[in-house]
Amino acid sequence: MEDQPLDSAEKEGVSRRLFLQGAGAAAAAAGISRIPGEVLAEEARSREITELGPEAEKITLKVNGSDKSAAAPPSTTLLDFLRNDLGVTGPKRVCDRGSCGACTVLLDGRVVDSCSMLAVDAVGKEVTTVEGIGTPDNLSQLQKAFIEKDALQCGFCTPGMVVACTAILNENPKPTRDQIRDGLCGNLCRCGTYQNIVEAVESVSRTGGK
Amino acid sequence: MPQEITIKVGFGNQFRELTVRIQDDDVKPWQPSDRLHLIGQSYPRVDAVAKVTGTARYAYDQQPEGMIYGKILRSSHANSDIVSIDTKKASQMPGVKAVLTVPDVFEDQTARYAGAEIAAVAATTEAQAEAALRAIEVEYDIKPHSVTVEDSLKEDAPQVGRGSQKNVVRTSPRMGRRGGGNADSRLARQEAEVKKLIDEADASIEAEFRTEVQTHAPLETHGGVCTWEDGRLIFWASSQATFGFRNEMTSGWSRVKAKDCQVLAEFVGGGFGSKFSAGREGVLGALLSKEAGVPVHMMLDRSGEQLSAGNRPDSIQQMKMGVNKDGQIVGTRIRSWGTPGAGTGGAGAHNDAIYNIGETDKIEYGVRTNTGGARAHRAPGWPQGAFALEQMMDMAAEEIGMDRVEFRKKNDDHPIRSVEYDIAKQRIGWDKVGSSTDKTKRTGVGIASNLWFSAGGGGASALVRISKDGQVEVRNGAQDIGTGTRTVMGMVVAEELGLDLEQVTTRIGNTDDPKGPASGGSTTIGTITPAARLAAHHAKRQLLEIVAERKGWNASELDLKDQEVHQVGKGSTNLNFKDACALMDDDAIEVLKGRPRRNYEGFCDTNAGVQAATVEIDEETGEVKVKKVVAVADAGKIINPLTSESQVRGGVIQGVSFALFERRIMDRQKGRMLNDDLENYKILGAADCPVIDVVLLDVFNGKSNTQVMGLGEPPIVATAAAVANAVSDALGVRIYDLPITPKKVLEAIARRDAARGADSESKPKQKGERL
Repeated sequence: MEDQPLDSAEKEGVSRRLFLQGAGAAAAAAGISRIPGEVLAEEARSREITELGPEAEKITLKVNGSDKSAAAPPSTTLLDFLRNDLGVTGPKRVCDRGSCGACTVLLDGRVVDSCSMLAVDAVGKEVTTVEGIGTPDNLSQLQKAFIEKDALQCGFCTPGMVVACTAILNENPKPTRDQIRDGLCGNLCRCGTYQNIVEAVESVSRTGGK
Repeated sequence: MPQEITIKVGFGNQFRELTVRIQDDDVKPWQPSDRLHLIGQSYPRVDAVAKVTGTARYAYDQQPEGMIYGKILRSSHANSDIVSIDTKKASQMPGVKAVLTVPDVFEDQTARYAGAEIAAVAATTEAQAEAALRAIEVEYDIKPHSVTVEDSLKEDAPQVGRGSQKNVVRTSPRMGRRGGGNADSRLARQEAEVKKLIDEADASIEAEFRTEVQTHAPLETHGGVCTWEDGRLIFWASSQATFGFRNEMTSGWSRVKAKDCQVLAEFVGGGFGSKFSAGREGVLGALLSKEAGVPVHMMLDRSGEQLSAGNRPDSIQQMKMGVNKDGQIVGTRIRSWGTPGAGTGGAGAHNDAIYNIGETDKIEYGVRTNTGGARAHRAPGWPQGAFALEQMMDMAAEEIGMDRVEFRKKNDDHPIRSVEYDIAKQRIGWDKVGSSTDKTKRTGVGIASNLWFSAGGGGASALVRISKDGQVEVRNGAQDIGTGTRTVMGMVVAEELGLDLEQVTTRIGNTDDPKGPASGGSTTIGTITPAARLAAHHAKRQLLEIVAERKGWNASELDLKDQEVHQVGKGSTNLNFKDACALMDDDAIEVLKGRPRRNYEGFCDTNAGVQAATVEIDEETGEVKVKKVVAVADAGKIINPLTSESQVRGGVIQGVSFALFERRIMDRQKGRMLNDDLENYKILGAADCPVIDVVLLDVFNGKSNTQVMGLGEPPIVATAAAVANAVSDALGVRIYDLPITPKKVLEAIARRDAARGADSESKPKQKGERL
């Protein structure tokens, strides 16, 4: 690999160095690392990077408008933290590697696969799950449209679909049919509700709601 | 004493009167002249609010107090015997509460595919359970393997089974003691007879077709959450057979042998045929929970799901058909092979049904391979069979110069399908599918048929409870795996009681409630709804008896309509439903009724269906786009068009996915599945989804008091076949193997162009020949 990618990654302050530091001792013993661990640790301190783990740490996230805390190892994904530690089970674990979208949540309004990022990386950001889109007593226009258009069968993809479609409409209240389909490309449904979902989004778009 | 009644049966403008005998306490099937206030109208699902808000709790979402996590260790070798397993280190790892091995629990030392269960661990966190799995030491006796049908068929093939098990077994026809001689000699006679018919026919065509292994890939994986309360197992299961799971846990093979068991499955994240059994994961979850003394969450990860939780077997189908110039098929020879994994059953292809294909000489072989086992998969055997048969139909029609649809009609006597062909043709614009405006793109249209048998049968009871305060509840312990059964059950009860759907509470997915069927063979709705209607009817009669007594009316003249008590011929009594209920002395009326075990004589025992598809193919890239599918479907009486349409669309979408994308990829050297995930195992996404135009025919079949047939499976039968025929129509060359990938399209175009080049050098074109 060229030097370029590593350099640019370091400039962004990503955790590559921390990872190397953790792996440092073993790697050095194996004669792999060229970077002494202490140098890395010193640099980390000078950059004010917080070291976490591997033991459980208290993590506080703003989920659906309120702060929620639990202790979990920093290696915990956002999805597992939501489900296993906070009991927020709307987002589903289906593929666990970012290919199906069943775990879709909004992070500061942007769509993310919560299985493919760490909970600690969501600290200080607004996490919105399907539970935050609308409740049984206060459904969003989109949720109502999902119900009317039968845009769900078994319902296991539905929480991710509702969040993804909410984001599509947030970005563009008047999406074309192709834009809706493109917006759904990260979400799989096995029962076959795609056409109904597109119709649900279109019906909301027509009436100007969300 | 059975009652004798006269009913009208039929559909469209084809009705006739029929005198039939029905069970003495049963209600007359709904008649075309009945004014039904909600049956036949679209209603959103009763559980839709829970599903769109994330409040629906699936098995995967259960988190009882103190719950820990179970994980399964799987073999990474394609064919081995387990010599020893050392779990000592693992059991001392942090958080580990219980460890079990497969040889101990199931008395099975074999691991005949990469992915076979070896051991299981329960620990406080998932990470701890995974770490413990890595600490388990297994010694394997590794044997040579075969993971493809071709490899297992070779003379020097490794033995997949154990003992005297052969790799290849003739699975059909199973010849009984009919006729003289042994099975082999009878098959030889049959072969000779059919060969003669085909040889003497005006024309014959012959081809070999292949389909790939398709995994079910339900989004919720298999498994469940188990806990024990005073010797009773509580099992939140991802199940399409709640009562079957209970039986497994209390008896049979499972070795759990719970004295009592409650299976709960209010929401299930898809099944498609793969969730009839609790499987080893269910047994291991229950036993880990027993040993750990706390609830255990045991859901498969995606890899485990893809490797071990079932699939639709592949197929190699060789077909030869003899046909006369007038369009009559006189004889068909079929040989097919397929692998259900390490076993041999269930790998057949239904390529001899739907049409009258003359005298048939068909033999199927099950081929053992070192791969994950097959399970029933949405119309087992049918989509792969139709893929071969329907292409043969097109090839035969072309060979004798007959229109494709007329040729089908000529060999088809289904009373409903005969009407459906023309609806499909008209809706797809059969004669108007012209050429694309884009020079490099070609369009084509194809047609294919369905057949199914889903009127349901005995095996369900329903409990209807009308409370003094006017609340109505219907209970059946079976599950709704996304089909809409729950909603339809509520609609049937609301119809019978003259109520709105919102006034009826539905309870499902709980084996403490009255018995219901497995969601198999698309029979759930046809099995449950007659019981629900019957229970509602008798609850209503009891209520009206009370009303009559209190008011001094004649009960036999009373009925419930528009939420009021009506008098026959006189209209409303102005006594509304709630006030009528308040007349009860007791807290509630409860009626439990079982469905009549047998279906009645009726119009037609089977459902049909015809699908037409259009495709657009880019000849430069080889990409196939399915533009539109018209799906004409029938399923007896249509209760809820909204959810019925969804069922059909779902079948079509899985069919298009099967046609274009899905394929289990095996590494022949390592013997492993390479795409045990959802990024390399391709399933259809939103951008690939065609426009699906569903046409539902409403059939009064008289088979039961609701006359409903299921609609889960039939729509997937025809789709891949219709797409394949459309591809052939577009390209002018046929593709015999699924999935129809860009690579295969480009290769087919190359064959076509080479043949055309040869044609221009005045060589005769061999029609029906595999190019």
